[in-house]
Amino acid sequence: MQNRANNFIPMAQVALNDADLQTAVSFGTQAGFNKRQAAMFADGEAHGQAMRQQAAAIRRRALNNLPELLEQAEANMQANGIQVLWAVDGEEANRHALEIARRHAAQSVVKSKSMVTEETGLNHALEAAGLDVLETDLGEYIVQLGEETPSHIVVPILHKTKESIRDLLIEKAHMPPTDDPETMARFARETLRPRFLAADMGISGGNFIIAETGSLALVSNEGNARLVTSLPRVHVAFVGIEKVVATVEDYATLTQVLPRSATGQALTVYTHLVNGPRQPGEADGPEHVYVILLDNGRSAIYNSDYCEALACIRCGACLNGCPVYQATGGHAYGWVYPGPIGAVVTPLLTGLENATPLPYASTLCGMCKEVCPVDIDIPRMLLDLRRDLVAQGHGGAVWGVGMKAWAWGAKSPTRFGLGGRVAASGRRFMPQRLPGPLNGWTDYRRTPQFAAKSFRQLWQERKGADDEQP
Amino acid sequence: MSSRERILEKLREGERPFSPSNPPAFYQPMTPVADDDPAALRARFVVEAQKAACVVHPVKTPEAAIGVILHLLGGETAVSAWDLAQIPIPGLADALEQAGKTLVGQDASARVGLTGVDAALAATGSVVVMSGNGRWRTASLLPPVHIAVVQGNQIMPHLESWWAAQKADGLEHTRQRSNIVIITGPSRTADIAMQLVMGMHGPQELHLILLG
Repeated sequence: MQNRANNFIPMAQVALNDADLQTAVSFGTQAGFNKRQAAMFADGEAHGQAMRQQAAAIRRRALNNLPELLEQAEANMQANGIQVLWAVDGEEANRHALEIARRHAAQSVVKSKSMVTEETGLNHALEAAGLDVLETDLGEYIVQLGEETPSHIVVPILHKTKESIRDLLIEKAHMPPTDDPETMARFARETLRPRFLAADMGISGGNFIIAETGSLALVSNEGNARLVTSLPRVHVAFVGIEKVVATVEDYATLTQVLPRSATGQALTVYTHLVNGPRQPGEADGPEHVYVILLDNGRSAIYNSDYCEALACIRCGACLNGCPVYQATGGHAYGWVYPGPIGAVVTPLLTGLENATPLPYASTLCGMCKEVCPVDIDIPRMLLDLRRDLVAQGHGGAVWGVGMKAWAWGAKSPTRFGLGGRVAASGRRFMPQRLPGPLNGWTDYRRTPQFAAKSFRQLWQERKGADDEQP
Repeated sequence: MSSRERILEKLREGERPFSPSNPPAFYQPMTPVADDDPAALRARFVVEAQKAACVVHPVKTPEAAIGVILHLLGGETAVSAWDLAQIPIPGLADALEQAGKTLVGQDASARVGLTGVDAALAATGSVVVMSGNGRWRTASLLPPVHIAVVQGNQIMPHLESWWAAQKADGLEHTRQRSNIVIITGPSRTADIAMQLVMGMHGPQELHLILLG
């Protein structure tokens, strides 16, 4: 997928002025946030926090042993009859998928939700090779009809109102007019069902891989992931290399904190393991199962100070809790992963220079860490990325001059005190709205009132301290 | 060098990212449920399954179970059913035949799917369904109505205790099942304006016949 993250600010402006988007995103994120809160702490706050820490430790332990776990997972998947392929980048992963399609003479492909395939641009690659590709998650189906991209990790069309979905289904899929979400969903079910039954190949993502059993684990509510992995002759799963966990106990914890954090469910409707192709005597299921393990920049993150970002289980809780995401929705972030976790992984996976605004797309309020089921310290990483930006010369000229001026003023107590007094008395001469490029500041903020006396003045009055003494 | 080697080599290039830690001796279950009282487990299972939008039919005898199944089938003549030997209701095959019902396998047009289960989980009201000989995956997936037969003694406290039982068994049996699904309620979506709609791609109704 093309990266437009450097356009964050103009894209955020568009989003802020889009009334439909504002309605949909504020409603959707609030609902998601509240559901998560209720589900995570259903057995009390202390228990919920203990489960977060258990999950956090599981993910970090898995990452610590990642190369060994990948080897173990591969050996066990192969023993189960799953064919394992590795891909350094998205292009190689797409090439694997195309080769598999050719090998099995597959023409029609049904897909269940996979963010990794958004990363690799799989749909375009398959379509360019002449295959028919159909997204089957209701949200992803609507995204595909609208030729859009998902704006949320869990709810792809969080940015869309019921009315805009209706109009799209009427225009692009010839749905009989209706305002009722149930009728719209039923229409999609009837439209997609024959396509499932006729498909040659199913493509899924993967929520986890369990190393000790060689299992591919998926979660879904609609049932499309089960159809995709059960009906076609061939099943191909795209999975990031960071998704491996060691044991079934590890998996049992993670597959329960995930839906609690994502949709507020104790378990998704279908919590699902693929252990291989259909066995002798079985009447249905795919004849061939492939797992493509994708790196695409993850091993570089692994060897950096940002390895923690790989602990993410893609629940979307940090999106729902983020005041910036709540205001802009997901598209402004410009690439596959929006919200706080996107602001971290987009620069890391696509290059810091290609996503310079994202580390600043945060108020550092800390909610993303607070709601993260695996306790990823996103604010710490955003700050470190800002440091990296400055170190690599992306700080900007104004930033450099400003910081130098500040340092000059702050180094001397006299200058520091003078600066404070000038600012306080100059406050009343400042216009409500600053001209030109500076109005970005005044349009969205009120100038603060200064106190009658500064802290330094009060301190001196109390202690009678010498101004020149540090 | 293959992509596999390149990736693994890169991962082994630097130091390990976190300080080493051992798995805990005891994993806290996500939803604590006491496991000493079968009646309490059964009651919890029923409550949680209903919360997940299942219809629970508690029955005492196989005859009563057959009665419920025939009632749910109504005028439908075709049933997408598992091999009846896999469903623990004595006399079910004869009863269905006498009522003029035809058993179909993977028939996309069948309105009702009939399966057994491998286990049930009290904490979440879930049923565990494994694929295998005579156990169609699609029977619990394609028809708009899914009837699953659960025996009272199949109810376990939670997902963690089910995995513990699999592990005590060596995990080999579990791995041999090509497809395992833990089902919690009927299929659903909330993709359109966060409004809940049941029966998106899978069944719209999930009936649990709870025997004994």
